Amino acid sequence: MWGLFFEPFQLGYMRRALAEVVILGVLGGVVGVHVLLRRLAFLTEVVQHTVFPGIAIAFALDQSLLAGALVAGIVAIILYTFGARRVDSNALMALLISTFFALGVVVVSRRTGYQSDLTALLFGRILSVDQRELLDTLVIGVVSVVLLVVLHKELVLRAFDPLGSEAMGYPTIALDLVVNVVVMLTVVAAVRAVGTVLVVAFIVTPAATARLLCRRITPMMIVAAALGALGGWLGLVVSYEGSIHHGWRLASGATIVLVLTAGFLLVAAGRAVAVRVRRPQMAMAPA
Amino acid sequence: MRNLVDSLQSPLYRRALLEAVLVGAVAGVVGVHVVLRRLPFFVVAMSHATFPGVAIASALGISLFLGGSAYGLVVVAAVLVLGANRALDDASVIGVVLAGSFALGVLVVSAQPGSSRDLSAFLVGSVLTVTPADVVTTVVVGAGVLGVLGFLQKELVLGAFDRSGASALGYRGWVLDAIVLVAVTLTMVTAIPAVGTLLAVALLTVPALTARLWVDRVGAAIAVAAFVGALSGVLGLFAAAIWSIAAGGAIALATGVCFLVSLAVTASRNRTGRRLPGRAGGVAA
Repeated sequence: MWGLFFEPFQLGYMRRALAEVVILGVLGGVVGVHVLLRRLAFLTEVVQHTVFPGIAIAFALDQSLLAGALVAGIVAIILYTFGARRVDSNALMALLISTFFALGVVVVSRRTGYQSDLTALLFGRILSVDQRELLDTLVIGVVSVVLLVVLHKELVLRAFDPLGSEAMGYPTIALDLVVNVVVMLTVVAAVRAVGTVLVVAFIVTPAATARLLCRRITPMMIVAAALGALGGWLGLVVSYEGSIHHGWRLASGATIVLVLTAGFLLVAAGRAVAVRVRRPQMAMAPA
Repeated sequence: MRNLVDSLQSPLYRRALLEAVLVGAVAGVVGVHVVLRRLPFFVVAMSHATFPGVAIASALGISLFLGGSAYGLVVVAAVLVLGANRALDDASVIGVVLAGSFALGVLVVSAQPGSSRDLSAFLVGSVLTVTPADVVTTVVVGAGVLGVLGFLQKELVLGAFDRSGASALGYRGWVLDAIVLVAVTLTMVTAIPAVGTLLAVALLTVPALTARLWVDRVGAAIAVAAFVGALSGVLGLFAAAIWSIAAGGAIALATGVCFLVSLAVTASRNRTGRRLPGRAGGVAA
């Protein structure tokens, strides 16, 4: 029975895929709690779409996808910062999402037979991760988590009491920038594995699930990281089982995201039941 | 240029032009209401939400329009139910639901043979293969949506600018909201054959934002947005024929180019001080 959960990973490419999703799961979980605290879910969505043309151009020129994504992310953030002075920021985000994405589509479509390339860029190719990419992800993961841990106290203060943290003399712009840059790095690291449109699930879903389970921030981060890694592992097992033994052709990135979503829905349902069960007692209490 | 001349002789290409102009104009008008009510995030959300519905409908062989709209309504309900949980903010709940339902759509499509082509057709559209039935659907839905929005324009604008004033006058705020949301969803599903789910966001927001740079009045903004939407359809299809690039992507990119050009032109106009349509007191400040 338990063999099911370990058998796929005797294959070299499955082991690399597992290492990649575990690193991404932990990183996404920790970053996700900050995204949740700062209500940056929409920004994450924006970044994941705006890095797409960078990846597409790097792909067309045979350059490093990571470098392409970074350049596009930086250009988007600069445009956003200047554009927000003249246009409603929400609308500007929608504009950046759609036009950057369109640029990526146009670049990819210059190649013949582009549909399968487009699909790979959009939904990732986690099973073809190589040693080098794994190393990139590990470096990004360690740098981001260390940054967040070192600045933990300041970042949490900034999230809960922006004015207080400013009054205490913390460089608030620098702190905001740290969070935004870490979100961008995480998106860039995860894009190759799960593709541009599903990255947001790695960051937001485990953190939202953890938020339903814990109240304190440090346990929330640990739970989110564990859920992210666990969801990645289970998702890989399910897609391997379905594809090899049942012929269902389950795309691995999408399966992982669905496992994470199922976890969230289970916890939300469990919590709703728990609240319902507890409520009658609470109603009695004042009497 | 020769490619363009050749293309213009093909009836398929001319039909695609007609569809792109119609979709662009309708989406431009609806977009003004989107921007007025600050609904761009909802549009992004619906673009992800309708995708699994369309994918499932295509797998089952039923109407894409029906599938996309029905699934969109399911997602709206899921967001409302989960959003009632006060531990989470709306954007996070929307993020979770969207990524999950998007992954579901990917799985449904990828489970079928020859999936890459279908998948990209839903996501970025395939305007050169629109059928006469698609064009008829666009005309009918477009006329219906524009008719309702035009008929209720006074109430909708009042509700967007002064919610409490509108409810004091006896208008039900949520009914007006629901009408705009349904109009947005219908327009988006109609635009799928032309530009796909992801790029419909461009047509539903960017022409309206561009109009906002030029004019301050709602009526004028609607006219300019419809014009910019239709113009983007034409420019995008021309670019697609000349450089052989994806038509859906080119149309969406054309809206971005219109916005950038307008930004540059109106910025220099502001600097010369002839007119200051600043942020205050504007259509969609």
